[in-house]
Amino acid sequence: MVANTELQRVELSGWRTGLANLLGKENRAWWASRRWLVQSVVWTVVVNGLVALLLLAQPAAARMSGGTEPTGPELLITGVTMLFQFGAFALAAGAIILVQDAILGERQLGVTEWILSKPVSRPAYVLSKLLAHGLGILVILVGLQGALGYGLLWLLTGEQLPLLPYLVGMAGLAVHTLFYLALTLMMGVLTANRRTLLGVSLAVLLGGMFLVMNLARFLGTFAQLTPWWLNNVLPAAILGQPLPLPIWLSIGSTALLSILCVAVTLAKFERLEF
Amino acid sequence: MQPSNSLVIETRNLSKAYKEVQALKDLTLSVQQHSIFGFLGPNGAGKTTTMKLLLGLIRPTSGGGTIFGQDIVRDSVAIRSRVGYLPQQPRFGDGMSARETLNFTARFFFSGPGPKIEARVDEMLELAGLQDKADRPVNGFSGGERQRLGLALAQVNYPDLLILDEPAAALDPIGRHEVLQVMERLRAHTTIFYSTHLLDDVQQVSDTVAILNHGELVAQGPIEVLLAGGDKPVYTLSLRGDTRRALASVEALPWVSSVHEAAHNGVVTWDIGVTDDRAAEAQLLRHVLADEALTVVEFSRKKFELEEVFLNIVEGGKDGR
Repeated sequence: MVANTELQRVELSGWRTGLANLLGKENRAWWASRRWLVQSVVWTVVVNGLVALLLLAQPAAARMSGGTEPTGPELLITGVTMLFQFGAFALAAGAIILVQDAILGERQLGVTEWILSKPVSRPAYVLSKLLAHGLGILVILVGLQGALGYGLLWLLTGEQLPLLPYLVGMAGLAVHTLFYLALTLMMGVLTANRRTLLGVSLAVLLGGMFLVMNLARFLGTFAQLTPWWLNNVLPAAILGQPLPLPIWLSIGSTALLSILCVAVTLAKFERLEF
Repeated sequence: MQPSNSLVIETRNLSKAYKEVQALKDLTLSVQQHSIFGFLGPNGAGKTTTMKLLLGLIRPTSGGGTIFGQDIVRDSVAIRSRVGYLPQQPRFGDGMSARETLNFTARFFFSGPGPKIEARVDEMLELAGLQDKADRPVNGFSGGERQRLGLALAQVNYPDLLILDEPAAALDPIGRHEVLQVMERLRAHTTIFYSTHLLDDVQQVSDTVAILNHGELVAQGPIEVLLAGGDKPVYTLSLRGDTRRALASVEALPWVSSVHEAAHNGVVTWDIGVTDDRAAEAQLLRHVLADEALTVVEFSRKKFELEEVFLNIVEGGKDGR
């Protein structure tokens, strides 16, 4: 067709072909709509709301029962455990729910077929989902909740946590949450069934935690290199308590597992038919 | 720029099998530049499978093909940068308006300048007749509006090849007519490869037709040739008088393969199938006129309706199975 010569053609750029446009669309869905606001409110209530409730309820309950009120450091331990153990679990479940439709939903609706009929490389499609959702999850679910949690713990316990271990803990929380993002995207490619996707992803989250909690002594060092162990030991790492393995090893191995999930997603998506 | 007579699509023994099902078998097809190529076949014949193979959405089990001389598997992204595609049931990104969808699509092909892209988007909205609905979410569009938007989206990049899967299926008669007009208008600039089950539409706009049945190509050629009976032409003779002797003598001609007789109001009509078109053209009428007891009312080469050709081929295929 005779093209308008004033329009500049996009140059094909191998695996990156179409990435910028797709990333723009996915980012707009996060940041140019109310999604960021809704997600910020929801996860603040779920994570920091519960931490605040616990920190306020514990001294009140002690007063009412005539017992000794917990000290600031004791409350801090409770708060950090709640924020990083329950928080890690809740944010992982959040990542699964948020991302379940990213690939599978579009596949089922025929949107992926339509997008891939344009000059778009398949890796670009997968990476646009990973990067855009990864950014949204890192900023809203991890960054915002971590920052609010730091302030909240300081405010309600009167104790300030050392910043560096807290940042290491947040890095662990980020890697843990991103692992479930990568896992859910991978499931969106491996199965065409939403129930299977949710079932497997949630089973990995819950079943893994159960296994590590109950079978850690049998699994040995292997258990300490899993995301479920990371979920368990983040509070201890932040509070400076001794750990059998340095925390960066658990963070690194979870990051490697996430990369493995992304590699499987890319390889399988390359062979999918629409 | 391609030479004027070059092939845009060329496939060789293109095949696709899903487990036990052979969706497409040894398809060898050529589509000339600037043609409107109608791809016909009953449901499940393999039309959509072929289109998806051409676009790299699925991979061939065996065989292969080229578009613009580029391999449909290896060079798929490059091919798609010059192609516009309308899927059978168009679905676009959730929550986006028609304008946003067009803008998003345009940006796969054009990096700028922004105002020129916006102008192209407006042009396409006008073409689709969706200016007044430009900012409404596409989710709420009717089937026809979705189809018109899909057609506009397929053209946004000034494609060298349009692949349209049932482009008029969801449209009312006016919408269908408009689509056919758009296709006619685009013929000068692009090649159109489209599937349909609306045979009237094919007869109106297509210059070349291929018929697919049970995953196999059963006919391919210029539409005039197919409508003229392809390699099995039929001549029609309408006669008055006693036809018995002439019928026996026509049936005895070596290049006559069949004669079907029908009578109406004293006029007998023969549909004479022939195997040698030249001999029939030169000798058939002369042969009949030799019988002085007969008056020839009409003599012509039979022009088939596409539906007739289609049913003959498709049902013949069924019988042959």
